[in-house]
Amino acid sequence: MAERNVESVNKVREAVSQDLLGGRIDLLLGWEKGHYWWQSRPLFARSEADLEKLAWDSFCAVNLSRYLLEELKDHDKVGVLVKGCDARAFNRLLQDNMVRREQVILYGLPCPGMLDYNRLVEKAGGAPLEITEENGRVIIKVGSGEQEAQRDDLLLDKCKDCRYPDPAVYDQLLFSPQGEKEVTERFKTVEELEEMSAEERFGYWEKELSRCLRCYACRQACPFCSCRECFVEQENPRWQGRAYQPSENFMFHLVRAYHGTGRCIDCGECERSCPVDIPLQELNRKLIKDINELYGDYEAGLDPEQEPPLLTYRPDDPAAFSEK
Amino acid sequence: MSAALNETAGGWEPLIVSFCCNWCSYAGGDLAGTSRMSYPVNVKVIRVPCSGRMNPMFVLRAFQRGADGVLVAGCHPGDCHYTSGNYQSRRRLSAFKRLVEFAGFEPERFEVRWISSSEGDKFAEEMTSITEKIKALGPNRKMRDARWQSVTSKV
Ligand code: SF4
Ligand code: SF4
Ligand code: SF4
Ligand code: FES
Repeated sequence: MAERNVESVNKVREAVSQDLLGGRIDLLLGWEKGHYWWQSRPLFARSEADLEKLAWDSFCAVNLSRYLLEELKDHDKVGVLVKGCDARAFNRLLQDNMVRREQVILYGLPCPGMLDYNRLVEKAGGAPLEITEENGRVIIKVGSGEQEAQRDDLLLDKCKDCRYPDPAVYDQLLFSPQGEKEVTERFKTVEELEEMSAEERFGYWEKELSRCLRCYACRQACPFCSCRECFVEQENPRWQGRAYQPSENFMFHLVRAYHGTGRCIDCGECERSCPVDIPLQELNRKLIKDINELYGDYEAGLDPEQEPPLLTYRPDDPAAFSEK
Repeated sequence: MSAALNETAGGWEPLIVSFCCNWCSYAGGDLAGTSRMSYPVNVKVIRVPCSGRMNPMFVLRAFQRGADGVLVAGCHPGDCHYTSGNYQSRRRLSAFKRLVEFAGFEPERFEVRWISSSEGDKFAEEMTSITEKIKALGPNRKMRDARWQSVTSKV
């Protein structure tokens, strides 16, 4: 891959190895290459040899902060590489009292956005063999030659609409900030759905949700889903039935999304984890949009000191129903 | 909720489930009763300690098990027995109402109203009004659990 990446990986490795080898942290959460070149998966580094595997490239989409929930059970102090969304996820966990700030060292990585393999395939018109990147362009190598594309056109959905690519919280910032990004299409699909009639919308969701396997990968990936006992597994009362039918699908999806009201950091990991491409972000974003409209602008995960909208109120709040 | 009125031999009658807070709206219902005001038998009242006790899952469960409409009623803002329960539920239920509408429910299917213990007349009016609106809309099939339906229709 591009030179830029070799250089920057070395820089990241340098920054973390002192702390890991010097014993300041017991574990580093980072990324390493997966089975394919277009996959970067979480790396749990405990030694110098582990750090050799470190990757920081255009496929490090996995949100690492979520792993703190497990890893802090066995480690006193953990280092985490945080992009914009990983950092907001960390703040989410902090606000939910799931982690303590002093248990963690955060290495901030301003994020250029991660690439979507499916978009590479689409652009290349076949399975890409490798890519090189320079100046905002991506050269995709395929069997028959090369294709060139704008990097921005190849981003994952979650990155296309990402407003805060720079970490909101860190101990060290490893590269220069990207700056706040202007996003224009964040609520586009939500608005399109709002335009539909109730019948059409129901039909849309019934169809989309019908694919749900109830594997709960979306929940496992989510930084706000840190409940010790999730409602889907609660036995008494048994809120969530196991049957494969629309009623149960709606129950899961409405409740999961609702639990994120004012808490969802819009990292898109739920949707990215879903094996059957259910547009979960549209449910999450509907709630973000409405809460902002009704109770003032709020971006979950940006500032842990700011009270989440459902944990507070004002006596003169508006309502979405008649108060006469 | 076991006596589903929905589809009896005599035609369809809506089932409305109304969650009423103990201190205001439920007392408002009592007043309506003792003042001999009438409201439709379609409404089944479930008493909750406070509108702040409402878990949105209660609403979805009601729809699953046969409700054609759901109404949550609580004390007027400022009058909650627990001071802030209804301020909290105003935010939560507003977000939730918009979410269920986004999922494809008609806005009339889920409503929230503030009814005080002295508003027996308002209680009767609101119950009548939601029943009429739901009658006009027709039966709700969204989120209806077919397995449960087959049990209730025999009742
Ligand atoms: S619901 Fe999805 S987008 Fe929101 S915080 Fe959870 S994983 Fe991220
Ligand atoms: S879906 Fe709700 S109950 Fe389950 S883990 Fe997420 S927030 Fe907790
Ligand atoms: S990841 Fe997708 S299929 Fe699995 S439970 Fe979530 S929405 Fe359903
Ligand atoms: S006691 Fe009636 S709303 Fe709280």
